[in-house]
Amino acid sequence: MRLDNSISIAGTGCVLPSGLGVDALWQAARDGRSAIGPLRSAHFHSRRVVAFGHVADEVHQQCRKEVAANLQRYCPPSVIWGVNAVRQALDEAGLEPRKDRLRYGLYCCQGGYTHPSLDSYAELLHECNGNNGLDICRLARRVLQERALDPFLVLKSLSNGLLGIVSLVNKFECECNAYMQGVAGNLAALQEASAALQSYRIDVAVVVGAGSELDGLALSALAQAGVISSNGSSAFRPFDREGSGGIAGEGAAALVLRRSEDLWGAQQVCLTGLSAHAELGKLRLPNKPVDLLLCGGTAIPKQDRQLSETLAAIQTSHVSSGQPLTGILSGAPSLVDLILACRALQDQCVPPIAGLRQPINEDLPFAMGASRPARLQRCAIVNRDDNGFSACYQLEQREARTLGADTAQFSQPTLQS
Amino acid sequence: MSARRVVITGMGAVTGFGFDWQSMWMQMLDGAHCIRPWQPEEITDGSFPVRYAAAVDMGLLPAYLQEHPAWRLPLEKRSRYGWVAATQAFSDSGLQAEQLRDAAVLCASGAPQHMLADMQLALADEAHAGADWRHLMQRAAEVQAQGSLRQSNDRLAQVIADDLGCEGPVINISSACAGAAQAIGNAFQMIRRGEVEIALAGGADSVLNLDTMGALYLLGAASSEQRWGKDLCRPFDRDRSGLVAGEGGGFIVLETLERALARGAKPYAEIIGFGSSLDAYKVTAPDPQGRGAAFAMQAALRDAGVEPEQVDMINAHGTSTPLNDATETLAIKNVFSRGDHYQQLAVSANKSQFGHLIAAAGAPEMMLTALACRDDRITPTVNLHHPDNGCDLQYCAQQAVSRRVDLALSNSFGFGGLNTSLVVRKYREVL
Repeated sequence: MRLDNSISIAGTGCVLPSGLGVDALWQAARDGRSAIGPLRSAHFHSRRVVAFGHVADEVHQQCRKEVAANLQRYCPPSVIWGVNAVRQALDEAGLEPRKDRLRYGLYCCQGGYTHPSLDSYAELLHECNGNNGLDICRLARRVLQERALDPFLVLKSLSNGLLGIVSLVNKFECECNAYMQGVAGNLAALQEASAALQSYRIDVAVVVGAGSELDGLALSALAQAGVISSNGSSAFRPFDREGSGGIAGEGAAALVLRRSEDLWGAQQVCLTGLSAHAELGKLRLPNKPVDLLLCGGTAIPKQDRQLSETLAAIQTSHVSSGQPLTGILSGAPSLVDLILACRALQDQCVPPIAGLRQPINEDLPFAMGASRPARLQRCAIVNRDDNGFSACYQLEQREARTLGADTAQFSQPTLQS
Repeated sequence: MSARRVVITGMGAVTGFGFDWQSMWMQMLDGAHCIRPWQPEEITDGSFPVRYAAAVDMGLLPAYLQEHPAWRLPLEKRSRYGWVAATQAFSDSGLQAEQLRDAAVLCASGAPQHMLADMQLALADEAHAGADWRHLMQRAAEVQAQGSLRQSNDRLAQVIADDLGCEGPVINISSACAGAAQAIGNAFQMIRRGEVEIALAGGADSVLNLDTMGALYLLGAASSEQRWGKDLCRPFDRDRSGLVAGEGGGFIVLETLERALARGAKPYAEIIGFGSSLDAYKVTAPDPQGRGAAFAMQAALRDAGVEPEQVDMINAHGTSTPLNDATETLAIKNVFSRGDHYQQLAVSANKSQFGHLIAAAGAPEMMLTALACRDDRITPTVNLHHPDNGCDLQYCAQQAVSRRVDLALSNSFGFGGLNTSLVVRKYREVL
């Protein structure tokens, strides 16, 4: 989809392995510092999958303060992070949903593995684990007669939990949708948000993604699918000749989108294009040169080499990647890249690819070593899901005056509606 | 440039009534229902508190569908039902395979089923302090072979797109009981905006397993009432006591009118509006004033550019839960208050006939709405004998209603306070 009317990113927020907030993410990006660490779980251990991008416990505890205790029982951790990310984005955009009279839209994306996790059931399962495996009758008795099973599991497992909780906390009584499936879900949410703004149905679009794969079954499935490394690797090195596979991460990110004409800031970062295709080779890429390309890689050299051949069609001055900072995110992969792109455009700075030493393709201008200042106006993002689905986003930093005084005339009635 | 018109040209449904929409439609017009005694397969002594459900009866599988790959490949039940429904919709549309190449697939499927069974296989027998990863991987491979582990919520859409050769966007909606309606609404919007010309949209779900039904019971959502036997699903009745789950899938083919006419297709009906909203009230209960539901219906009518007085019929969400039916009635009365138009509306609820299909519910209900517009026949709300206080609309109780239906709404609401409404119009080539 080509956006005919400019949509601006008015606010950003995130809760990621890099820490709480966009500043923490951006500092990690500038430093080329990965937040991936040893995999920690109370319920499973592994010698083959050893690394993970964890959200720190102190960050989680801080986020919990923003969600009322009676709501927390419905929330897996990622939903709590999503609430915090939305609050950050609204703050940056200077919006107060309960006080202003703007029309909001809420578009959510949760990771694909939001089912009741092994962790959720672990205690009860272990208790009912007999000599011949799980004693299902005992389990059923415990669940139904003694109410041992958390009845909210079924709600926690619903992928619209994020939608429900974010709407409750912010009192969003607005149009909405809930998507899933990583990159495709992020793209669908951004597409619907943009269309709703452009049709003037809403004035503010809140797009939030959240998810975690910190679950034995989910990680097992990802390892089997080849998405994450199962060879004991602790480093995630996309686009590197010595890459040894992906590492999963967790977290949440949020964007507040507005019509550019409704904003009066000196400079705005505008979302100027969205496109997607089930095959990377058929993805519509920018036909004009961009200054910075952000792209997720697999850290499997053969696949990254193929990806880089496709990327070579984009005329760009710099190529970077945010994935080594956080690990592969299931709920907010594209949203995090959009946040990084925003900050790069605002700060006129190219972040390096953390851990990249030997690029798989010498012809592409991969950013390595330290961050560097650069003149950046246009940026592209290319994301891929493990099923091959690919998306391309284009961003542009524009001076307010280039947006046109005539369009600003539309903003007043809109804001008063 | 006027907006593109979006029409329904193919439908496929798998419900307790059978494996096609035609048998569902005919039996529902006759006032039949497919709710039967049910217990989870793990409970053999009949002690499970939820006693009834509308399960898919494999004994009704027609011979021509017995070779469908959905029954052979390792898939969950919900994916099997959804895949078959999508295949039926494609076949019903009269499209050639190459005509579906640029189609989008929008799919809603609920929470994966039967996680306890997966975990029974995956959990190491000897592990007490924590599951052993190596053992878990080995067990996971067994689960994989049995086809459950990788059936994440995006599986069905991908299977359908691969099988039918759809190369357009593949979008997974996960919005609880409003999922399929959201998928159809999104597909409608994408076609109207010109992003795609054709889409396959709908959903599939099955919650008929121990853990999900156990949780729904513990939440107080599922009825364990014994008094009415298999007639316990009673939308808008004073004796309603909670939802009765069903299972199945439903998909529809949506395309631009121009494209449909160019290939000689005869549309069932036209979709002209879509609205959604959030209650922002409670996770497990609707706003008692029905504000969110009213907002969704008003947004859909606004989107369609029609006045409330033009609406002839509403296919209600009608779950047979005490809260939903009262607030939905209130919302309808608010939206259609001008000239007391709500008194003229025919309101029909289908869940007492094929149960609550959860994420899939909106798809067959949309089909019944479209068929009502096509045939001027409205399916009855069965088991409604004594309308509750405040439930004072024309609910088509017990018997199908014949009346002209030019314009209809289909409501779907979900846990988390999510509401959707779709506006359907009788198909006419020239307006």
